[in-house]
Amino acid sequence: MRIVVSRLDEFPPGERRIVQAGRRSIGVFRVGDKFYALNNHCPHQGGPLCLGATQPWVRSGGPGEYVLDESESLVACPWHGWEYDLATGQSFLGPGEPPARTYDVSVEVGAGEPRGGRMPGPYVAETFPVHVEDAYVVVDTSGGTRRTGTTRGER
Amino acid sequence: MTTSTGTAVGNGTIDAEVHCTPATIAELVPYLDPYWRTYVLEGGLTISAAQGGAYPPQAPTSATPAARSAGAFPAREAADVRARVLDPGRLRAAVLVCTASFTSNRNPYYEAALTRAVNDWLIAEWLDSDERLRASMVVPTLDTDAAVAEIERIGDHPGIVQVVLPVRTDAPWGNKRHRALLRAAAEHDLVVGLHAWGRTGNAATPSGITHSYLEDYLANSQIIVQAQVASLVTEGVFAELPRLRVALLECGFSWLPALMWRFDKDWKGVWREVPWLDAKPSDIVRRHVRLTSTPAQLPRDPVQVRQFLDTFDAGAMLMYASDHPHDHGSGHERLLSALSPAETEAVLAGNAAGWYALG
Repeated sequence: MRIVVSRLDEFPPGERRIVQAGRRSIGVFRVGDKFYALNNHCPHQGGPLCLGATQPWVRSGGPGEYVLDESESLVACPWHGWEYDLATGQSFLGPGEPPARTYDVSVEVGAGEPRGGRMPGPYVAETFPVHVEDAYVVVDTSGGTRRTGTTRGER
Repeated sequence: MTTSTGTAVGNGTIDAEVHCTPATIAELVPYLDPYWRTYVLEGGLTISAAQGGAYPPQAPTSATPAARSAGAFPAREAADVRARVLDPGRLRAAVLVCTASFTSNRNPYYEAALTRAVNDWLIAEWLDSDERLRASMVVPTLDTDAAVAEIERIGDHPGIVQVVLPVRTDAPWGNKRHRALLRAAAEHDLVVGLHAWGRTGNAATPSGITHSYLEDYLANSQIIVQAQVASLVTEGVFAELPRLRVALLECGFSWLPALMWRFDKDWKGVWREVPWLDAKPSDIVRRHVRLTSTPAQLPRDPVQVRQFLDTFDAGAMLMYASDHPHDHGSGHERLLSALSPAETEAVLAGNAAGWYALG
């Protein structure tokens, strides 16, 4: 299932959207120009994972040294703090724990040629021809777990 | 063969902790500089086997019946240890611990002089008298520079295998202010031993001073040593000093699995605060810490003992110690009877041989 999440220009970096796909709730995150989508269900105890805080990795070469990664790539469940990699859904709290389900996110343009620099959208209304232009954020629930975030402009 | 603790040991056993002490401070006076001889004399300073209340002479825990009947406890001279520990146990080696300086006053210069004297006394009166003996050197706890200097002075002596520190301190041993001391020990390939007790003024609990010996005694294993393990791991001591080996002496071990369980869990939640940890705390402890087998605080049911030992791989983590002359009851027999033959060999000799590089 492909779900249109938002117009790109209404989804600035650092924000997230929670979308509904049937009975499934999915969190879509924009980190810089990368998009991630994660099942809004913590494998630990079913908490609303995608309502949690996102943070970058922090690395260290020794006591007192803190090196933050440039972008935020972890989300922590608001219930118990379990952290998951946004791109892979991999948890980082213990061995043998299931990853959270992730989904493909793409920035797509609608069929057709750009017009005046504006990109056609994905939908065509049934009764009236509609030119939906500009980029949309679409989440695709039909694929498997994705391993990397999608960069804006990737197809 | 049976030692004073009733433990069956045999050829090749290594005793990782045997206490020794000067009978009085007069024995150390020849090893003190002239200024400090006068200081001791004029101040009426003493040291005692009771160690500021740590080992009350009449407390059943302070000496086994055999050691008590022999009169002097802990041992005052190498012949005592030879007769009561080394020969009866047919030991390959024994690691001496002298904690007499733990109760030093708060003069950092006196503490430095006193620990130097204890070390020179250990070398002259003990190490030189029996090749099976190894010694734990002591260092001042109030002056890190002086502690480092003392390790530089005698840390390479072939009979010195450990720097023994009181488990009770003004600040936990993982604290950054202590790092140079630990680094010096690691660089000289010396184990850092944390031993029960410390200066009398160091409270048994974080909430303050207790009134009973019971609370004071209990705190060593159930409160203080656990705080030290948490400190050493959390502060990144082992990340910074990957060669450092720590031994926990006379602090028990039955608390370890519960602490590790909670330590791992809480680290998972707040790892971001201490990103220098490259593994979960229980793995770091397993790499860098060993514990002496006495006191062995174990249940009576052999099945339960075995289940418990499996929770922390006791066969790899424990080092046999008689803790002569102290009396810790029959727990040690329960421990040995639950070990497999391979584990028994490791606990009685192999683990200590590796940790102390006894060859």
